[in-house]
Amino acid sequence: MRILFAEDDPMIGASVRRGLTQDGFTVDWVADGRAAELALAERVHDVLLLDLGLPRKAGLDVLTAMRRRGDTRPVLIVTARDAVSDRVAGLDAGADDYLVKPFALDELAARLRALLRRNAGRAEPVIVHGALELDPAARELRCNGTPVALSAREFALLEALLARPGAILSRAQLEEKLYGWSDAVESNAVEVHIHALRRKLGADLIRNVRGVGWMAAKPAASAP
Amino acid sequence: MRSIRRQLLVWLLGGMLLAIAAAAVGTYLRAREDASALFDYQLQEMAGSLTGAPFAGVPPASSNVAPRSDTLVVQIWDRNGVALFMSQPHRVLPQYAQLGFNTISADSGQWRVFSTLAGGQVVQVAQPMSARRELAASLALHAILPLLAVMPFLGVLIWFTIARGLAPIDRVAADVARRSSAQLEPLSETDLPREVQPLVHALNGLLLRLSEALAAQRAFIADAAHELRTPLTAVHLQAQLAERATDDAERNAALAELKGGLERATRLSEQLLALAREEPGVPERANADVDLAALARRVVAELAPLAAAKDIDLGADASSPVLVRGDAAALTTLLTNLVDNAVRYTPTRGRVDVEVRGDDGSVILAVRDDGPGIAPADTARVFDRFYRGAVSQAPGAAHGSGLGLAIVRRIAERHGAEVDLNSGLDGRGLGVRVRFPRLPQS
Repeated sequence: MRILFAEDDPMIGASVRRGLTQDGFTVDWVADGRAAELALAERVHDVLLLDLGLPRKAGLDVLTAMRRRGDTRPVLIVTARDAVSDRVAGLDAGADDYLVKPFALDELAARLRALLRRNAGRAEPVIVHGALELDPAARELRCNGTPVALSAREFALLEALLARPGAILSRAQLEEKLYGWSDAVESNAVEVHIHALRRKLGADLIRNVRGVGWMAAKPAASAP
Repeated sequence: MRSIRRQLLVWLLGGMLLAIAAAAVGTYLRAREDASALFDYQLQEMAGSLTGAPFAGVPPASSNVAPRSDTLVVQIWDRNGVALFMSQPHRVLPQYAQLGFNTISADSGQWRVFSTLAGGQVVQVAQPMSARRELAASLALHAILPLLAVMPFLGVLIWFTIARGLAPIDRVAADVARRSSAQLEPLSETDLPREVQPLVHALNGLLLRLSEALAAQRAFIADAAHELRTPLTAVHLQAQLAERATDDAERNAALAELKGGLERATRLSEQLLALAREEPGVPERANADVDLAALARRVVAELAPLAAAKDIDLGADASSPVLVRGDAAALTTLLTNLVDNAVRYTPTRGRVDVEVRGDDGSVILAVRDDGPGIAPADTARVFDRFYRGAVSQAPGAAHGSGLGLAIVRRIAERHGAEVDLNSGLDGRGLGVRVRFPRLPQS
């Protein structure tokens, strides 16, 4: 899952990026409101993690403008402003959740997962797909109850595909989910990861639609 | 304790008593004058009625008759000085050669004497002066007695009138006493007597200034708490990353960052303290002649290691002593902030110059660097506390507290100095100039 993090404090920015990366998120960090708007316009991020006290354009203005443009991506406000009126203003401006600094990295990651889950129309935390059980919080995949070891990118790729079974994701879309701006993407990286997944989980799980992209087969169809 | 009520009562009643006494004296004097005219007339008439009466010889003195003090004394002599008649033989008044009215002193007191010459006889009628005084005193006493009688009533009236007049003060006092320390809204100024109104007005002025100072203090504390939250959040996150680290290298890196975060939080709290020390309303500290050049050299020496770590060429051009009047500790804080800011924001291998020189009418302190400078849009706001311009994400980029220039300006203001921003070295970077008023003797 790719996250846009708008935060002007370099120490907080660096720490959150490192922490969330450890939790399997792909994080792009911008330090001011204008940069956040430019990044949002790319439409590659799944969720916006927004600090309110941003230079150049205030966080609430970024949020309001984003909602006015019809951008419905989940927004989690992370700020030091803890007054009830601030929370209400943030949520009423279109935020989905509000986290007050200082916060625990684990809680931030859990809230992000909850937002992404809700956004995908799910309530249950574990994605069940046929014999597969994918737990985004524990970063664990079980096949018929047996844990399967996956690399971070393989897990992220599978998670993206299983989030919307039957939907086709292009190479560009998958690359965007896996790689932040600072990551170097090798030309056939997606194929390499899909190949690895097929090797571990069986060739039927992920189908290639030639010239378009990949999809996770619907569980009923993929069940043996 | 002095009481206005008691004071007014004493003064009013005392004044009234004095007035009554003056009236009594006046009445007495006036009555004595009137009585004198009346009695003089009486003496004259009496003497007139006795002239021409045949007197032959003095009757024997009947000394057993008790003399009355207020009775008239009549004496008649013939032209040879032989007493013909003595109404009170035991009271012999000197024979008076002078005719008409006379006031004489005898053994028996003062007498008013009227002498007339008729038919070869001298008729002398005399009356003691005491009779007139007694009459006048009695008249005066009768005149003031009613006034004295109403005094107690007046006293009570004054007592209650004053109480009524002072009631607004009690009301204001009760209003003030009822308040908690947070209730600083102005007191009602309506329905107040003109004498109390200025006091309440002045009190309201004080309340207003107090509430403004309190609001400023509250805003400062809220700002400070908010600002402290950012470095504390960073420390919090860095600690979590250190906790999560799976190997030593990762843990050491996380701990190094944690240390950086702690240093930053410490620095911010120190800066907050420095700013709080310069808050308006803090009692003035000792003013002394301070050699700004020596101070600049010391600060540059102290910050030299920091500059060396970034390979920054930090130097001072402040060789000759330049005196300003002020607080050495505060001026050190000012210099440290300026130089530290410059070193912090200037990239590696940059240059920072500190200059102190005496001008014609002022002393100039200038700190210039060849760093990124301040965007024109930010120049107006950089002196606001907690304001930071756009920050760089580059590793090791400066994270200032946003307080440095606010502190500098506050200290400069306290020293009557002006701070302005201009471009730094070689037309680049930032130059901060502080202009102090020059000491008259230097």
